[in-house]
Amino acid sequence: MTELERYVAPTTLAAAIDCLKDGEVTILAGGTDLTPQTRAGRMRIKRTLMNIRRIPELKGIALDGGAIRIGALTTITEIMDSALIAKHLPVLVETCRHFASDQIRNAGTLGGNLCNASPAGDTAIPLLVLGASVELASKPEDKIYRRSIPLSEFFVGPGQTRRSLCELLTAVTVPLPAPGHVARFHKFGTRVGLDISTVSIGIGGTLKDGALAAARVAFGAVAATPLRAAQTEAALEGQRLDAAAIARIAAVARDEVHPIDDVRATAWYRKELIHNMTKRMLENVAQA
Amino acid sequence: MNVVAKKPRTIPESSLIGTRIPKMDAPEKASGRTRYIHDINLSGQLYGKILRSARVHARIVAIDTSAAKALPGVHVVLTAADVPDQRPIGVARDHFPLKGDRVRSQRDEIAAVAAESEEIAAAALKLIKVVYEDLPVIADPEDAIKPGAPLLHPAPAGAQPAGATVAHRGKADNIAMRFDYAHGDVVQGEAESDVVIEDTFKLHYVTHCCMGVSGMIAEFDASGSLLMYSNTQVPFLHKREFAEYLNMDPARVRIIQPPIGGGFGSKLDIYPFEVICLFLARAARRPVKLVFSREEEFLASPTRQPVLLTLRSGCKKDGTLTFRQVHTLHDNGAYTSWGATTPFVMMQTFSSLYRVPHCDYHTVAVYTNNPYAGSFRGYGNLQATFAIEQQMDEMAAAIGMDPLAFRLKNAQHTGEVTGQGMEFKSCGFTDCLNTAAQRSDFSRKFADNAAERNQPGHLKRGIGMASMLHVGGGAKIYPSDGCGTILKMDDFANVTLITGASEIGQGSETVLSQLVCEELGLPISALTVVNNDTAITPWDVGVHASRTTFIAGNSAIGAAKKAKTKILAVAAQKFGCTAEELDLRGGCVIKAADGEVVTELSKLIRNLHFSDKAELVMTTFYYEPPSVHQGKDYKGDVSAAYAWATQVVEVEVDTDTGIVRMLKVTGAHDVGRVLNRLGIEGQVEGGIVMGQGYALTENLMIENGVMKNPNFRDYKLITAPEIPEMDVSFIESMDGEGPQGAKGIGEAPAICIAAATANAIANATGVRLYDLPFTPERVYRALHGQTPKLYWKPWVPAA
Ligand SMILES: Cc1cc2nc3c(=O)[nH]c(=O)nc-3n(C[C@H](O)[C@H](O)[C@H](O)COP(=O)(O)OP(=O)(O)OC[C@H]3O[C@@H](n4cnc5c(N)ncnc54)[C@H](O)[C@@H]3O)c2cc1C
Repeated sequence: MTELERYVAPTTLAAAIDCLKDGEVTILAGGTDLTPQTRAGRMRIKRTLMNIRRIPELKGIALDGGAIRIGALTTITEIMDSALIAKHLPVLVETCRHFASDQIRNAGTLGGNLCNASPAGDTAIPLLVLGASVELASKPEDKIYRRSIPLSEFFVGPGQTRRSLCELLTAVTVPLPAPGHVARFHKFGTRVGLDISTVSIGIGGTLKDGALAAARVAFGAVAATPLRAAQTEAALEGQRLDAAAIARIAAVARDEVHPIDDVRATAWYRKELIHNMTKRMLENVAQA
Repeated sequence: MNVVAKKPRTIPESSLIGTRIPKMDAPEKASGRTRYIHDINLSGQLYGKILRSARVHARIVAIDTSAAKALPGVHVVLTAADVPDQRPIGVARDHFPLKGDRVRSQRDEIAAVAAESEEIAAAALKLIKVVYEDLPVIADPEDAIKPGAPLLHPAPAGAQPAGATVAHRGKADNIAMRFDYAHGDVVQGEAESDVVIEDTFKLHYVTHCCMGVSGMIAEFDASGSLLMYSNTQVPFLHKREFAEYLNMDPARVRIIQPPIGGGFGSKLDIYPFEVICLFLARAARRPVKLVFSREEEFLASPTRQPVLLTLRSGCKKDGTLTFRQVHTLHDNGAYTSWGATTPFVMMQTFSSLYRVPHCDYHTVAVYTNNPYAGSFRGYGNLQATFAIEQQMDEMAAAIGMDPLAFRLKNAQHTGEVTGQGMEFKSCGFTDCLNTAAQRSDFSRKFADNAAERNQPGHLKRGIGMASMLHVGGGAKIYPSDGCGTILKMDDFANVTLITGASEIGQGSETVLSQLVCEELGLPISALTVVNNDTAITPWDVGVHASRTTFIAGNSAIGAAKKAKTKILAVAAQKFGCTAEELDLRGGCVIKAADGEVVTELSKLIRNLHFSDKAELVMTTFYYEPPSVHQGKDYKGDVSAAYAWATQVVEVEVDTDTGIVRMLKVTGAHDVGRVLNRLGIEGQVEGGIVMGQGYALTENLMIENGVMKNPNFRDYKLITAPEIPEMDVSFIESMDGEGPQGAKGIGEAPAICIAAATANAIANATGVRLYDLPFTPERVYRALHGQTPKLYWKPWVPAA
């Protein structure tokens, strides 16, 4: 049983963050993480349950100067169906195709996926590769205060982020990739549909003369948070992607991750997958 | 005025057999109207919940229920101490529904609550305090069987030495059951062999994952009679058993089975929750509904029997099989359910799938602190077939013979009587082998894949085959393997078929209606089936052993034939001819010679009813198959017919990840005869997918007695995109005893898949896997030499 006392469904951002001040508030977006977690007793619903789905400001995908702004309430399906995203951030569409099932994609939101902060959360990986930031809003006095932090600094541990209890994640912003930018996402699960990642890999950069510049690599499900892989990035940066280089970079990747054993896989196997899949993805990039 | 002579109407011959008939209950199910047990509510009902053990193996020192009892809305809280008359339950009568002194597995039931809502019942469970004293956990059956191992069922304090059951008197070792069978002389067989192969195989835990979780609603009426809504698969036997547990007259127990929820063998035994639900209803004097959560369904349902198996087989250079020697170690879990008895089926496969002159079979089922295994579609045959069919490929390779040719050489034929005494009156095995091989282009692909194995690239193709033998005409386990039918015809010539056969989703209503319509020349729409209620239907032994179509089908045909005889006799008298000159067709009485309509059947029936010698058409029939009970040596013709099948599986193996994709299954099934083509296709396709899950993804992980993945996130069922292409052929061997020639095939399609997949992976990669399931990591490890070869040295303690 919960101590739930109050259910609110504000229609403005201001009202929502006002309510958050209390500190004893559970935010509900699509509910696809919240429901199973509270049912299983892994999470407790606080005194107030706040449904944020009626706040128009949290919705929508738009080109905003040199960046694409994706509202926190945007569902995985909406990302998949967006022409704007398909044009500028195709890797995000690719990722969403491997995300859960239709039912979950129709309900699950981008904000929820990031705030849930699962090490195996899927959207974080391409967003890390794309250099995304998250926008957080709060209302310490009577004015709305917004801050932006790079996604690479957002995650702290499983289920933990740098969002404070009185902040709402309002949007994700992704700078428009440079011309010639390529990005790949690979999710490894034991079956095609409806699986939680055993490992996931994102690789991106600007392809010139068979090498990636401004290379970024991100791994999921191999650490307490989705993470950028600095050593792998350094090994990849500017290297012509011939067979020898690919083998070297894949080996760096394998050594860089320190996964754990769990019901889905052993650490050894995860490291093997990181190696083999990084290699396969780089071979694919080399042929692009 | 011209009078035109009215042309006599004729009805051409036609048959429903082999046609595609949609399930009669499909509209109800598709529109969500069919009621699961969850959907049934009785007024005034309470909600039951069970407190399970927090430990795997422990002594219960104290239980305090006072706070739970004090919670408003709680009506009853029960522990073993509150039910001093509880009787031991289970196949070996080795545990009590509510555990009093000791818990032996994670699922063990310690207390139960009946309350006004599920929430209150759940809150009450949290208020119950249990003090445990931990005991050593025995999680490995090999440890449990060692001399001096701690006992799972030591004699309880104050044990009655004369007590009849394990629960009362305890057990001096951890051996729950043992089976020893032999025909011929394996020593001689081995001496005659040119090749001898020995392997150990390890079969894992999976569970049924029925769409509906388990549940029961129990209500005692004012005069103390009991009504139960239960998904049991054996209502008549269980009615008697429940009565025994409640110390009441079985005549006052009535069971109604919801037609949906799922069985697959899981409801073949009585489990603690059911008896506990009855205790709660008795104590509360209110109806009690007890339905599992999905997590509880994983934790407290039976599993398929996990098996460690060492198989030694031999053959001659020309491909003739010489002997087989089998030792298995069954992990019984904490208590004994039907899983322990799977050797009944396993030994049939070892002794009789192929002609093998010498066979020796031993099983020891041992108690551990693991979940306990029950019956599950295939009943041990998936495990046995996994071992045998891999060794068939290994032996073929050892003597340089094509796997198909090797099997054909040793396959059984019609007329054969096996060493175990099974008599194959109809046997399409050779046709199954040839059909599946031809349709899948087996021999060419097998050779090509092996040749391409060492080419560069991470995707390897493989093809593998496996065959099976399974009972197809019931199985004489109980004093009777029969089924009763009551048939009545109303004055519109519509038939109500009251059958003992339970409909639990398998499509029995439709196929039984079809068989009756075929006899009586009626359209399917003329049939209404009444079933699933012990107060109404005649006796039946239950839904198991692939028996319903065969046994209940013959029973329904028997009742229909009696009705037909009566109708034709009346018609013959009325129209001044002999009964032989008449027949029934298209809802009419016709002339047998040319199909000319004599009268509408409904008119004839009304004439009979509303005459001075008023009479109704009502018949009964009880069918008992001509099978025999096996002797103590497990020999005898236990089924009235046997089903055969060969399945060929094609896979693609990714050597970078270990992912095995199942591309295609080509199956050839000897089904005797196809009755409802739509129904049998569905049955085979569903079975293939169940076999695929067993082979590739499903795995109940148990570590030190604790289940690691009691949820659908980490217990992976096959989902739609993974289902392979299927090409299924039916071999019609026209069984002489079967209804219209048909055999039962409910279990058959799930049996071969894992074995054929293992052979396909070996064909693709040259690496053979001996333990299931073939998850990516397990396959990857094996491909990279990280899997030491399994070996279990059979150790059979003295009897
Ligand atoms: C069957 C199934 C399959 C799944 N498969 C995948 C998968 O393949 N890949 C994957 O990554 N995930 C998967 N998930 C997890 C889940 O669907 C996703 O994480 C989803 O994006 C969560 O979004 P939501 O809107 O449903 O979040 P909710 O459940 O509503 O919220 C999740 C958490 O974030 C908080 N929160 C939500 N929105 C905000 C906000 N704007 N500001 C601050 N806090 C907020 C909530 O309080 C909660 O703690 C699966 C879940 C299920 C049930």
